[in-house]
Amino acid sequence: MSREKKKIMDPFQKWAHSWGRVGTVIALIYMITLPFVICIAFDCMPKFTDVINASTVGILLIYIPVGFSEAISYIPVMGSASYLGFITGNIMNLKFPCAVNGMKVAKVEQNTPEGDAIATVSIAVSSIVAVVILALAALFSSFIRPFFETEFMMTAKDYVIPALFGSMALGLFATNASGGKVVKGGIKGVIPVLILVSAIALFVRISGGGSALLGMVGIIIVIMLPIGIISSRIMWKKGMITVEDVKKN
Amino acid sequence: MKEIANSPLMTILVIVGLLYIAGLSLAFLKKAYTRCLELGISKETLHNVIKSSAVFSIVPSLSIVVGFFALIAVFQSVVWPWWRLSVIGSLSYETQISGLLASSFGVSMDQMSATQFGAVLILMSVGMLSGFLILIPFGKKMCMSVTKDENASTWRYVLSGVFMLTLFAVYIPVILIGDTVQACVMLTGLVVAVVLGIIAKRPGFAWLNNFIMAFTMIIGMASSLLWVHLFG
Repeated sequence: MSREKKKIMDPFQKWAHSWGRVGTVIALIYMITLPFVICIAFDCMPKFTDVINASTVGILLIYIPVGFSEAISYIPVMGSASYLGFITGNIMNLKFPCAVNGMKVAKVEQNTPEGDAIATVSIAVSSIVAVVILALAALFSSFIRPFFETEFMMTAKDYVIPALFGSMALGLFATNASGGKVVKGGIKGVIPVLILVSAIALFVRISGGGSALLGMVGIIIVIMLPIGIISSRIMWKKGMITVEDVKKN
Repeated sequence: MKEIANSPLMTILVIVGLLYIAGLSLAFLKKAYTRCLELGISKETLHNVIKSSAVFSIVPSLSIVVGFFALIAVFQSVVWPWWRLSVIGSLSYETQISGLLASSFGVSMDQMSATQFGAVLILMSVGMLSGFLILIPFGKKMCMSVTKDENASTWRYVLSGVFMLTLFAVYIPVILIGDTVQACVMLTGLVVAVVLGIIAKRPGFAWLNNFIMAFTMIIGMASSLLWVHLFG
């Protein structure tokens, strides 16, 4: 078992996991320490009950599961590029689709050494671009602020995710081969998820809260992932989802 | 509060943190680039990936800038929103948590005392870290459980795709059924992707393949104005 694990561990993936952890821990310590340094320097350390109270616990109870959901959903797709993606944030609206786009451009498959390396290139480039754009915005904030407060920008910013899924939906029907094998009928495994979520969306829409549903997606994914995995496993065992060798011409 | 938020100490700490993140990104980029070449991916393909990723990142980054200006209005400071939205911060979380704390203190953000502002800084910094509790201890194991290679069982190939398919199976009905404008934006994006895909197959337009997702997203987001006007 351990010999097999060592055998399949690509050198880059091994490096990325080791240094990704180290880099992430350093970043985390820095992010957590920063406000405390400010509070000590300005002698404004709050009481524990100022930070954790009935109001804040409510909002934390929403965002803590969202963080877990992002980790469970995106780590298996982004692979060893996850560390950089999680540190720089904006995963669903920037890093994740950027990694998918990069793998599509390079014609490589996720969860392969090639896919991991390309996803890392994409996420690193995306992180640098985002940091530079925000730095420019900070530097020239007084000049460019009116443009970013126009009706056009204020409206369009709320539709990043629907626009992204429009552009990614075609990939859903593509058959990708990797490692000389191709999965046939994989989409059947998530049909129960599709039906359940459609029913929930319809119910919420009729109840009048449809547009707010997008904000609850993190929690829905956590609930639906086990269903998708179990139904795919059953269909794979029954031969409804198959893995075939790629025919070479 | 303004004095703290705009202080030189805060500015220096934020710039050092951002330099660290940029440095880490560059280190990962260099290592991944070298590995791609070793794996036989051509320099031309890699440059296409870099160009496409850079162009693709501009539009979502601009939407983050819109949120950045919204946070500047809340904090009366450029520095702290710049830091929060450059790292793991999320606009919705930052806005909600600062607003909630302000109301629990019974003041508006600009009336907060230094101690109250300290509470906002701490809560914003620690509230979004739950994902790391999974990533750091289990990230490697999770990735290895779906890594595909010649020795992998066929189930691993199926499992590897399930995560992405589940994301689609959740997001698509939520967008299509949940809200008319969101549905129209998504369908616009889909139609544009198909049209651009057809154009990219024409002689001389192969370059378009690298930018289909970026262009689709721009047009999809721009179309939201029309759909909001019609159905909003």
